[in-house]
Amino acid sequence: MIRTEELLLNVGPQHPSTHGVFRIIVKIDGEVITEATPVMGYLHRGTEKLAEALTYTQIIPYTDRMDYVSAMTSNYVLVHAVETMMQLEIPERAQFLRLVVMELQRVASHLVWWGTYLLDIGAMTPFLYAFRDREKIIEMFNELCGARLTYNYMRVGGVKWDAPAGWIDKVREFIPYMKKTLEEYHNLVSGNEIFLARIKGVGKYDAQAAIDYGLSGANLRSAGVKWDLRKDQPYSIYDRFDFDVPVGVNGDCYDRYVIRMEEIRQSLRILEQAMAEFPTDGDIMGKVPRVIRPPEGEAYVRIESPRGEIGCHIVSRGKAEPYRLKFRRPSFVNLQILPKLLVGETMTNLVTILGSIDIVVGEVDA
Amino acid sequence: MKGLVKGLGVTLKNLTGKKVTYKYPDVPIEMPDRFRGIQYFDPEKCIVCNQCARVCPTDCITLTGKKNPDPESKMKLVIDTYDINFEICILCDLCTEVCPTEAIVMTNNFELASYSRDDLFKNMQWLSDNNTLVRQENNSAMPKVAKGGATE
Amino acid sequence: MEDFLQKTLGWGNFTIFAISGIVMLLISLGFVTYFIYFERKVIGWMQFRIGPNRTGPFGLLQSVADVAKLLMKEDTIPKKADKELFILAPIITYVPSFMVLAVIPYSETLYFTDLNVGLLYYIALSGISTIGIVLGGWASNNKYALLGGMRSAAQMISYEIPLVISVTGVILISGSLNLRMIAMGQEGWFWNWNIVPQILGFVIFTIAAVAELNRTPFDLPEAESELIAGYHVEYSGFRFAFFMLSEYTYVYAIAALTTVLFLGGWYAPAPFLEFIPGLVWFFVKFAFVVFFLFWIRATLPRMRVDQLMSLGWKWLLPLSLVNLFVTALYMEIFK
Repeated sequence: MIRTEELLLNVGPQHPSTHGVFRIIVKIDGEVITEATPVMGYLHRGTEKLAEALTYTQIIPYTDRMDYVSAMTSNYVLVHAVETMMQLEIPERAQFLRLVVMELQRVASHLVWWGTYLLDIGAMTPFLYAFRDREKIIEMFNELCGARLTYNYMRVGGVKWDAPAGWIDKVREFIPYMKKTLEEYHNLVSGNEIFLARIKGVGKYDAQAAIDYGLSGANLRSAGVKWDLRKDQPYSIYDRFDFDVPVGVNGDCYDRYVIRMEEIRQSLRILEQAMAEFPTDGDIMGKVPRVIRPPEGEAYVRIESPRGEIGCHIVSRGKAEPYRLKFRRPSFVNLQILPKLLVGETMTNLVTILGSIDIVVGEVDA
Repeated sequence: MKGLVKGLGVTLKNLTGKKVTYKYPDVPIEMPDRFRGIQYFDPEKCIVCNQCARVCPTDCITLTGKKNPDPESKMKLVIDTYDINFEICILCDLCTEVCPTEAIVMTNNFELASYSRDDLFKNMQWLSDNNTLVRQENNSAMPKVAKGGATE
Repeated sequence: MEDFLQKTLGWGNFTIFAISGIVMLLISLGFVTYFIYFERKVIGWMQFRIGPNRTGPFGLLQSVADVAKLLMKEDTIPKKADKELFILAPIITYVPSFMVLAVIPYSETLYFTDLNVGLLYYIALSGISTIGIVLGGWASNNKYALLGGMRSAAQMISYEIPLVISVTGVILISGSLNLRMIAMGQEGWFWNWNIVPQILGFVIFTIAAVAELNRTPFDLPEAESELIAGYHVEYSGFRFAFFMLSEYTYVYAIAALTTVLFLGGWYAPAPFLEFIPGLVWFFVKFAFVVFFLFWIRATLPRMRVDQLMSLGWKWLLPLSLVNLFVTALYMEIFK
């Protein structure tokens, strides 16, 4: 017998497929993983603690930096929590603007995921295709709020900027364009036999495991659980629009891929309807006291971010700063299932599975 | 095999497609008016209300006022020093949002890279010289205090 | 050329051989430089980019600048690496890749050797490079490099066999192992090219050749997104350049070999087009094969190790055997 040893391999913190500074310590036997331990916290900035010394308006830029691929939804969950506590009325136009930017953001976020996931799997062209189209969304956001990534767009009671002249038309033009390019994406990779062989049946879990591990978003829906907060607990004005929630069957990487691609299409559907009903005029800021002091008490709200269920829990003592602020960060929660999924898989599948969970390290570590 | 061939078709078709590369830095990128670049500071307009320093989430603004040398003027204080530390400034736009007199506004300039961290500490002189491509549209959503009156 | 090769070896023509060898080396280096440029341009265009365009006119000097940079880089050897093997590995990888170029004929008159076992020589030597890659991966004393090296060994062994068996059909048809003779057997219209009777062999050969080259979708030994850079993760400077160089020299060699074996070498697709010199036809076909390699690199994702193995052993090997059997049967009955 040849003496064999297990190899302890550090995947990350500097590794092209960990999507940031994230580290997994894996024990491998040949190429087969026998144990995996995720190590996180390299990007920890203490957002929640910092927030205790900041006013609510000052916290908004910090939420941008949590999930930097989808800053709009992170913005929204905070202002939504404060608005719930203060029972503020949001003007119609502000509601629509929020919804439009959140859905555009979902498309942009899924595009980033699609591009980087294919890059993980070894195809480099989709990445550039995705970024070409994401760039169009980013440009629109840049025009709307003056930043390309960290928007700081939403405010308690409304939004910071009204849409500039011609902006709405740009969104209108973007929808059919994106629908067309989505077809091109499908032609490029979705039918590719190598790609399908890589992701079908990999990283499987069932609905019970998904619920037990607290997964949300596409990760939960891939296992067949139909749960989308936009439908099941409508916030903002989502209840006015008609859209489907794509659900998987097998809970494997392929289902997650299909669901995310379908979600882009559904987001475009929502945008189409929103564009048709977009109010021509109106305020973008509700009546808000100059200093935001939510009444004493607690509130927890949750919304559907592109990565899953993002929640915000505020404990207020009636001051301008929160007493305690807690974010339920979907990337962090979704990551919990990773060690279970990785055991018995090969090194190659590590990349496939980690990519399909769709984490943003800024949000994992917050 | 069909999927593979389809994919090959897409890439072949795009071989001659329109290129999207920006010509930056040969051609400067034109940012939209609302773009949040490096701030421009106008000492004439500043009323030393300290709101920008207080609202800054990263505490990167430091300012001091001094007694107005012109005793006739209504304003008791004028700005003496005004520094922004761009090592920690996150260009979040809150300072320009609260400024009642638009003394501090954003510009479209964004090139901050430098070889030394010391260069990122910008003083009043530098900020008031940074007067190109100043943002035109500064009406933010926040209600503003009337001119002259300061603090909440 | 033929007269030269027939002469007895003396100091005079030894010098000529040596010089023409060096000229060939320089030509292949020049080719590699512009392969890389061409590759980056083609892939850039397919991705809505414009590719290298800043060094020299149209970026033509980009690869030159890259090589110059690699030459000037500090030569690092990891402290715990096996020093001798670490230094030896890039050489073992590169030398065969250059040596195989000797047997490739470019036209009726332009060739460097007239070896009657040319194809065997090519296949035998190209296998040696694998040892260099495995050694490089082992000697680096790096876990990623080791995994890359092991993958490379597994991949090379399982793809060398279908590669060899798929060209056996061509050998049966032309009745020679001499690459010149194989090319000469394809004169006339393009349906005389070996690709027509040997279409199955051609497909197997292409797949196996891409796998041999370690290029996408079979670039598992390097697998940037999994193994970072695989076997050459610890290499830098000119040693790294040697690995890259041998990869691209093999692209050159395989493209030339495909042209000679299956695409009729230097012959025009139709006899009335023969006023165009054979060298031009050779180059056109050659460029097409190279373009194809870049094209699939721009499109396809990477395969998984176990899928790669099962493709090699469960599909390519039986198919190449079927191809060989059918060809042999055909030759027995009709010729």
